[in-house]
Amino acid sequence: MVGRNSDIKLAISHLSGNLVICKVSGKVAPERPLMSSAYGALLEEMMRKIARAALAAAMVLTAAPLAGLAPAAAQQSIKFGALYPFSGGLALLGDESFRGLEIAVEERNAAGGINGKTITLIKGDAVDPNQAVGEARRLTSVDNVSAIFGTYSSSLSLAATQVAELAGVPYFELGAVSDPITERGFKNVFRTNATAKDFSVRMVDSIPDAIAPALGKKPEELKIGIIYEDSLYGQTMSGYQKSRAAEKKLNVVEALAYSAKSVDLTPVILRLKSAGVDVVLQTSYQNDTVLFFRQMKDQGFKPKAVIGAGGGYSLRDTMAAVGPENMEGALDVDFTQYRTNPKAAPGIEQFVTKYKAKYGTDPRSGHSLANYMGAKVFFDAIAASKDLTADNIRAQVLKVDLPVGSTATGWGAKFSEQGQNTRALPFLMQWQGGELVTVFPADAAVAKMKVGVGTN
Amino acid sequence: MDVFIQLLINGILLGSMYAIISVGLTLIFGIVRVVNFAHGEFLMVGMYGAYLLAAKFGLHPYVSAIPIVLLLFAFGALVQRFIIQPLLSAEEHIQIFATVGLSTALMNLALMIFGADLYSVPPSVVQHSINIGGFTLVIGQIVMFVCALALVAGLHLFMQSTPLGRAIRATAQNRNAALLMGVRVDRIYVIAFGLGAACVGLASALVMPLYPVTPTIGTYFVLTAFVVVVLGGMRSMYGAFFGAMIIGIVDSLSGYYIAPDLKEVVYFVIFILILIFKPTGLFGLGRGTE
Repeated sequence: MVGRNSDIKLAISHLSGNLVICKVSGKVAPERPLMSSAYGALLEEMMRKIARAALAAAMVLTAAPLAGLAPAAAQQSIKFGALYPFSGGLALLGDESFRGLEIAVEERNAAGGINGKTITLIKGDAVDPNQAVGEARRLTSVDNVSAIFGTYSSSLSLAATQVAELAGVPYFELGAVSDPITERGFKNVFRTNATAKDFSVRMVDSIPDAIAPALGKKPEELKIGIIYEDSLYGQTMSGYQKSRAAEKKLNVVEALAYSAKSVDLTPVILRLKSAGVDVVLQTSYQNDTVLFFRQMKDQGFKPKAVIGAGGGYSLRDTMAAVGPENMEGALDVDFTQYRTNPKAAPGIEQFVTKYKAKYGTDPRSGHSLANYMGAKVFFDAIAASKDLTADNIRAQVLKVDLPVGSTATGWGAKFSEQGQNTRALPFLMQWQGGELVTVFPADAAVAKMKVGVGTN
Repeated sequence: MDVFIQLLINGILLGSMYAIISVGLTLIFGIVRVVNFAHGEFLMVGMYGAYLLAAKFGLHPYVSAIPIVLLLFAFGALVQRFIIQPLLSAEEHIQIFATVGLSTALMNLALMIFGADLYSVPPSVVQHSINIGGFTLVIGQIVMFVCALALVAGLHLFMQSTPLGRAIRATAQNRNAALLMGVRVDRIYVIAFGLGAACVGLASALVMPLYPVTPTIGTYFVLTAFVVVVLGGMRSMYGAFFGAMIIGIVDSLSGYYIAPDLKEVVYFVIFILILIFKPTGLFGLGRGTE
């Protein structure tokens, strides 16, 4: 399957790039117990020392002949790697993610850079996990960057972060959502954006928090159906959803997997209809989202709410194919989009202005904004560090304490020991009149949440 | 009970879509004896054609069916003439590689030209459903059902009562004997391949209003089409038609009563059982004819 066009297509169509993630996550997770054992830790430490020694040797060797020639300007600049898929199937949103970082760098440089040093970005093109490893090696050993920013796709991030960790170079993840990226006990990997689990939790929590009150019902009175495409992406997300729903004591009456390549979802829809489902949680790609909405209408299934996540639900193409009147009212959990209340996301309007001035179009997705926000948070942390060693940067990153609602995405920033931002809460959005608008939480909302889906 | 009947209706309508896609594959397999792995991509090409005609000239896919059928006939004939024909005397697996290669090439070409975005035609009345006695039927699917019946009947008439049809049947039955009788076998193959492609062209125009097109849309349908062809007895159009109905109904019922992600397991089990107990398919002509 890997490398086939179908995968490329799916990956492209999926905004958050979740598809690739979970394939890798399945492989990574089982290694953890081993690594956490005393022996594993020792081995890990040794490996790191060896790698550092080798790296130091390499640096001395490559730097020595050039030492006399180093221009004075080099001292005034600070090099960061920008590792994204710039070509291949993931390029569109990889590039969109990079634009956010690029704007953050320009803004910072215009304001004097980091402690007077200008930031220079060195691009690394990570088309697939192998190349991500290769490019991460080049950035850390040949270009000697002080930190790497990336990566958009989770499988790329999972691969590249291992290289950076071994090399002792801080890795700032601004967009990949797979949970294991920050669950492996790495010291130098930090992530600002929400994870797949955060998305699932928000999807489930929106039932008691937003949907039940809007319907004037108790959450436990609502019958919930969880449907998901049957690859690892759908399975991971629905797994988190099921356990969260159990924690919240919600009444899940159906949990159905289906193939994302299915050309007929009427059996799924009739199952939901027969069970009298009120709220549907769907984890899907694009084609199956379109098919679900079309056939839901054909079969006269009228749930009170449908909630999806990521690309399948956020893309304008999906709405166009389904038709704005049929997509009306569909709820969506994703990275912060642009129809969000600027009071809850200070700087979002200025970002859009800068983006338009630089690239001549509206932002193509919320990825650039998420990368912009993350880069700014980390630039501040790096500036606060007295030097560029990984340990000092880590100490400063862990000191970051921004309340929710203080950044351009509306997220806060407070990092766990694992390097994961614990204040990146995704918003609940809704399709209204062909536009995706933020409807929950109330202070980020630009419109009131509607109940019902489509013209039903 | 109501749900059961609705499922049955959905299954038959789904089956008619599989039927209309599979008839062309059966024709090509039955006559040219080539397993066309690019069949799904022929569907994709036709669907992009329908999309372009809708986007540039505002034609409804049902209207653009005529130019698309002609276009796909020409496309199929060219593929036969310049890709398959030089390989006819080669081993079978070489031909299979050729069609697999063609499939990959077409998919990537579409990815290059159109990107991975999905395109759909403007909504029209065929996407709506009608309600008969409490059961819903999508108009586009009813049209597909009627067209599938008409296509099989039309091909039957063509094969039985025209000289060209007779020549095609003769070629299918025995290539060498037909050659000896003065049938220009190479030309028959070109026509037959074109005809098979034209059938899938018709299918693409009918599918377009109901499914958005992407470069990989063919892969969604083609595996089922292969099952249908084998189930129906490889070369039998009527077999393909009934095979498609069976798969459609099994798909619909097992998706509901067992589980949506297990429906493929169910019809592949049926598929394997048929291969074990009746290798020539439900409507096959007996051993040795496949």
